[in-house]
Amino acid sequence: MPIVKRTPQSLSGPSITVSSAKRARIIYGLLLLVSSVFIIRLFYLQVIRHDYYRQAALDYQLKEYQIPAERGVILAHNGSQTTPLVLNETKYTLFADPIYVKEPEKHAVELAAIIQGDAGALVSQLKTPDTRYVVLAKKLSREQHEKINELDIAGIGTREESYRTYPQGSLAAQILGFVNDDGNGQYGIEQALDERLQGVPGELKAITDARGVPLVSNPDNIVTEAQTGEGVTLTIDLGMQRQVEDLLKAGLDRAKSSSGSALIINPNDGAVKAMANYPSYDPANIQNVINLADFSNTAVSSPLEVGSIMKTLTAAAAFDQEVVAPSTSFYDEGFVLIGDRKITNVRYNPGTQTVESVLVNSLNTGAVWLLKQIGRGDINERARLTWYDYMTKHYFLGTTTGIEQAGEAEGYIPSPEDTGYGINVTYANTAFGQALTATPLQMAAAFSAIINGGVYYQPRLVDSYKNADGEENMQAPIIKKRDVVSRQASDNMVGLLQRVVAQNIPAATRAGYSVGGKTGTAEIARPSVEGGGYYSDRFNGTYIGFVGGDRPEYVIIIRVNEPGIPGFAGSAAAAPIFRDVSNMLLDNFGVTPKSQ
Amino acid sequence: MNVTIRSRRPSLDEPRRRHRPDYWLPLIAVALLSIGLVVVYAISPGMSALKGVSESYYISKQLIAILLGVAAFIILSKVPYTWWRRAVLPLIIAAIVSAVAVQLFGSRVNGAYRWIQVGGVSFQAAELIKFALLIWMADLLARRKAESRLGNSRLTLQPLVIGMCAIGIVVGVMQSDFGSTAVMVGMAAAMMFVAGVPLKRLAIVGGVIVIGAFLLISTSSYRRERLTTFINPTADCQDAGYQSCQALIAVGSGGMFGLGLARSIQAYGYLPEAANDSIFAILAEKFGFLGVSLIIAAYAVFFGRLTRIIERAPDDFSRLIITGMLAWFSVQTIINIGAMIGLLPLKGITLPFVSYGGTSLLFVTGALGIAFQISRYAALSGKTNDSGATSYDDTAYGRGNRRPYYAAAGRRT
Repeated sequence: MPIVKRTPQSLSGPSITVSSAKRARIIYGLLLLVSSVFIIRLFYLQVIRHDYYRQAALDYQLKEYQIPAERGVILAHNGSQTTPLVLNETKYTLFADPIYVKEPEKHAVELAAIIQGDAGALVSQLKTPDTRYVVLAKKLSREQHEKINELDIAGIGTREESYRTYPQGSLAAQILGFVNDDGNGQYGIEQALDERLQGVPGELKAITDARGVPLVSNPDNIVTEAQTGEGVTLTIDLGMQRQVEDLLKAGLDRAKSSSGSALIINPNDGAVKAMANYPSYDPANIQNVINLADFSNTAVSSPLEVGSIMKTLTAAAAFDQEVVAPSTSFYDEGFVLIGDRKITNVRYNPGTQTVESVLVNSLNTGAVWLLKQIGRGDINERARLTWYDYMTKHYFLGTTTGIEQAGEAEGYIPSPEDTGYGINVTYANTAFGQALTATPLQMAAAFSAIINGGVYYQPRLVDSYKNADGEENMQAPIIKKRDVVSRQASDNMVGLLQRVVAQNIPAATRAGYSVGGKTGTAEIARPSVEGGGYYSDRFNGTYIGFVGGDRPEYVIIIRVNEPGIPGFAGSAAAAPIFRDVSNMLLDNFGVTPKSQ
Repeated sequence: MNVTIRSRRPSLDEPRRRHRPDYWLPLIAVALLSIGLVVVYAISPGMSALKGVSESYYISKQLIAILLGVAAFIILSKVPYTWWRRAVLPLIIAAIVSAVAVQLFGSRVNGAYRWIQVGGVSFQAAELIKFALLIWMADLLARRKAESRLGNSRLTLQPLVIGMCAIGIVVGVMQSDFGSTAVMVGMAAAMMFVAGVPLKRLAIVGGVIVIGAFLLISTSSYRRERLTTFINPTADCQDAGYQSCQALIAVGSGGMFGLGLARSIQAYGYLPEAANDSIFAILAEKFGFLGVSLIIAAYAVFFGRLTRIIERAPDDFSRLIITGMLAWFSVQTIINIGAMIGLLPLKGITLPFVSYGGTSLLFVTGALGIAFQISRYAALSGKTNDSGATSYDDTAYGRGNRRPYYAAAGRRT
């Protein structure tokens, strides 16, 4: 290595002790030092800590998206065919990322013209501070979506969203329910079968840009396809449903009632053919519903003291116990004393009565007499326990039926235990449908069992499911109990109920067919805050009956809440609707006539 | 500031014999410019989608900047470098005018006035101020050195301290551009050092600068924040430390070989200023450790060539110009890369030749034209002493002609 020699010049320079070249080399040396530090640091970051930063990058860049599954559609029978009640429709949600919207005023006017909105409101939405996502409009059509895309405004986008659409309008709305903005089924079938209808959402794991837009073709992207929800075909018959809705509305108007229900069920397999309540709602415009109660399918969700239609179940139990025959007679004093309580009929008319006349004239004293026969002469523990067993274990009252509906009510059956508070009076009342509550559906299902030979079918609304692969899965009828009452008891009831109709509403009878039924006029319990007991001037009208030929084919139950016309609610308000519905079935739905 | 042009020596206008220039300088510059252009092109889709501009927006602006830069290079490489000694006063006036214009008509970007819009083109005033500082100081120091008054407080140090204070206030405080201020401090320090200002004097000036920097940082909460996030950048990736954090993620996820030119993700909106201030992190993500090591090596070679010209400069003025330029480019490079790898706090400053951004590119390439011109007059063999004559001692190092200095450095120790 050569040795640096000092030149005479540099030594003699006035104030310079180190040459400029040397100083430049010092600077360059420093630069090389910094470069080495940088390279060491880069090696640390990129090679040693690579895995850590790779993971940190994925934490930011890899996002998981749910791919919504298409919701299953809902169909109904329409004669021999099926027709959709609920379909899906793609609509578009317009949103903005305000950070990227450069000219809010200009774009607001352009957008307002397409979505028929207020430009002023849009301007303030487009200027929303501190947010990356503002929804400007929902449920836009494909045309609107295309027009917005043509504008190609930075920071404005549309997103596809699936909405339920109702080709039959508000038909069967309360059976169907609706789907809320979160995609969850609410009320009716939509809620009850939400899991099946929803399907399984797919998943997309993708590397995205900072806005969350997936970058194309990245090997780290993982896609799991969404699985479409199951389709459902209801047991409902569209034609019956439509006519029942119309007849119910007309009947309620006639009776000056503001609400009620009508239901048709097949007594031989438990399939609900039509189920209507008034008032109802339009599922496509749920935002217009003011009273949330309108969403409820009251035929399954709202129990009531059923009134005299209960006497059919009391009589059937008495027949099944073989303590009476249709012609068994007794002397009716016109009232009956249970302890210190006096039970009367609507009209004081003492005399000899039979089981048939008890039903024809709807005698409360007669119903109490039937219960006494079950107790082998009196309303006692035996009567209570036996009757309780019938109500809860044969007729399945006091428990939900298990129909595919959200919000089904259990109703209430008083316990037979004697707690010293007049249990016998309470039980005497249950014999004619007071002091207990049941839904119209529970009553229809129990009534079906006593006129079909004694088989309790679980009421149901689903005829079949169709999975994503298109496989149809038919639902078999579910028998909950085979010996609800004996064949003999059932035959007795079918005969008796036809005679009740013949005497009380001859307009409902038709030659060659069997039509039977029973009215009910139920007192309405007064809330205990108002003193308890019953209102003296407010009643619900009910009617339960069947239509058929050799055997009953349809069971019909009608409920009219607090009719505003004179007369007994059951016969004046509910019976005419039953008559209209049974005639409609006979006229239009091919009921098989009697064989002789 | 009234350094008169009248007092210059006539001989300054007569440079030494022209010869073949140093082609390494434009060669490396073109390589870096190309890398920058390719990367800007590659990340254009992501950036333009987020900004809502057409995909060709960035690439066309960068192409125009490069064309202008090449034109500036060609023109300035033709202008005899001695001509700039006559342009000192006009340059200072232009710098002052641009500084005033920024305050009056400037557009506010990220909370600071640094840009003026001139006919649709945005212009960064600090770049012109840097260039004016370079020429003024080279002229002043060369003159004082010739007069042997480099250590003179009144004639040499006072004007420099006043000039640096003015820059500190205008660029550092008013334009809130601490990065550019730091670059200019580096330029001034390097030029004074190489000119031969006595180290004691230099230390005094250095002390003043350190105090000034401390005051600047402590008076601005924004800077304090940046300094604290620098101290612990990964602690808070969402707020103030977001850019530092995303830069580290970009660098670290690049790995040894990089994700590939088209596979970078951080430019898709995660890393702010991906094309200009943060471009090094994107390079690191795309090309990996090997790629960016090569780029750093390219800068090292480039700075080595500049150092070589300093050693062989025909006169003090040209030597100081190249020295200032070396400091300018290198401090800027160090601040930029240092911030991206978490060794320095973030400064809004570009990576020379690579970063997207017209003004910076134009001045950097223009300045390179001057260096290219000066390289024509550098001593062919051996190095020059302080007055420009070939010195004996340097030939004694035994370094061969044209061999870069750094190549010998390894052997020597």
